[in-house]
Amino acid sequence: MKRTFPLFLVFIFGILGIIPFIIPHPIVQNLDESIRNDILKILVAFALVLGLGSLLRVHMDKIKRKRQNWQYSWILIISFLVSSIIGLFGGVAGAGPLPTFIGSFHFDIQTLYENIFMPLGATMFALLAFFMASASYRAFRARSYEATLLLITAFIVMLGIIPLGYKISPHLPSFAQWIMTVPNVAGQRGILLGIALGMIATSLKIILGIERSWLGGGE
Amino acid sequence: MKIVERLTKIDRRIIYLVLAIVVLIPLISRSPERVRVMPPVEKLYNAVDTIPKDKVLIIDFGYAPQDMPELEPMGFALLRHAFEKRIKVLALCLYVQPLGLAQKALTEVTEEFNSVAQSNTDSIIYGRDYVFLGWQPPPLIPMLGMGISITNVYPADYYGNKTDTLSLMKDVKNYNDVALLVSLSAGSIPRHWVAYAQNRFGVAVAAGVTAVSAADFYQYYQTGQFTGLMTGMKGAAEYEELVETRLNIKKSRKASEALPSLTYGHLVMIAFIIIGNIGYFVQRKRRQK
Repeated sequence: MKRTFPLFLVFIFGILGIIPFIIPHPIVQNLDESIRNDILKILVAFALVLGLGSLLRVHMDKIKRKRQNWQYSWILIISFLVSSIIGLFGGVAGAGPLPTFIGSFHFDIQTLYENIFMPLGATMFALLAFFMASASYRAFRARSYEATLLLITAFIVMLGIIPLGYKISPHLPSFAQWIMTVPNVAGQRGILLGIALGMIATSLKIILGIERSWLGGGE
Repeated sequence: MKIVERLTKIDRRIIYLVLAIVVLIPLISRSPERVRVMPPVEKLYNAVDTIPKDKVLIIDFGYAPQDMPELEPMGFALLRHAFEKRIKVLALCLYVQPLGLAQKALTEVTEEFNSVAQSNTDSIIYGRDYVFLGWQPPPLIPMLGMGISITNVYPADYYGNKTDTLSLMKDVKNYNDVALLVSLSAGSIPRHWVAYAQNRFGVAVAAGVTAVSAADFYQYYQTGQFTGLMTGMKGAAEYEELVETRLNIKKSRKASEALPSLTYGHLVMIAFIIIGNIGYFVQRKRRQK
């Protein structure tokens, strides 16, 4: 029963997910709408609570056992609690029941977002440019015919997407665009079709109960 | 150490320093660079420009702070274009991270227009000219659900207002009332809009994506599944160029101002790759001898 019931549910909801794309009848469409708007929303809410609970439990456990870098877990827990309280009771832009300002100092969720989350996220990604520059200098070598072709194509596309490309030759941006819309698309489309066929096959295997690894606990 | 060996073993800190200098200097001077507009961006501009009065534009703000330099200027330019032409806008996010950035873009562009508005008609008013629907997980729910009823998927907007009480939403029921949906994303979301919203409900989709993911999306543009496509900072600068030249809106052009940094950054990377290859070829020739 522990394995049969989930397999039965996956089969039913898998089929119900496919049918609305094929049958436009209002009964089918309304059922689909109801599954998505009522059942799926509730499931997602549960998943969200479960995810947050799991995250907190992992970090509480890390602090308790004083695992490596356990101090950072305190930052996560405190940040989580502070932003949750401000977000839940302070409203989106400080319009909630909890006052989110002291004089001219605001600490509503949007202010926290713009002054903490945004700079941290942007900084993390900005570092990537430096690693990419260093890595491409070390690894991008014209070792073979294919690598040389890749290198030349990369130079054309890089120059084509910057304004200098047009100054070098008015045809360079158009040529870079052609590379993206013709040879690139040919390769990408082949890959995408392969992925799509693979996804269809895997989905059918899961819906029909042939692929059962997602149930876990298998041999 | 010989010069050739030095060429292949430049300290990474030197690369970092050179890159930092060439990226930072143009950002300090802040002079916007003019760009030649390419067809994918022009098609998107024309699609937005020809949206009828009784239809709306949906903007899916799908960028987080790490994608902000490339995608935020697209959001600003699109909003300026829509507000200038009095096109009604529905803004939404499929993930939680972009919410603050969407709110920032909507607030700042609205403020730009309202600071020079003479009357209520000139002003951009929330609920009448635009609505921020907020976040509804998982992405599949709004993508498919908005084909039936937008207010069912979003009973309340981002600020907690009931959506069916907002004047804009009285005329906007589902995708039939949507002229164009523009997805600004650094991930695969634009292709999901095509797979779910367009294939099933026929809504027109366009996208603004990061330069690094651009290669994944050209096939959708080529087939016409994307009405238009903006790629990376240059795509954003092209849209800014169109908004400034055709609508005569002279506001800050973040992407155009950052383009010189992008140019010099690219040139430095190309130069270092060439230097590395020169060293590699000279060393290889010596070994062969």
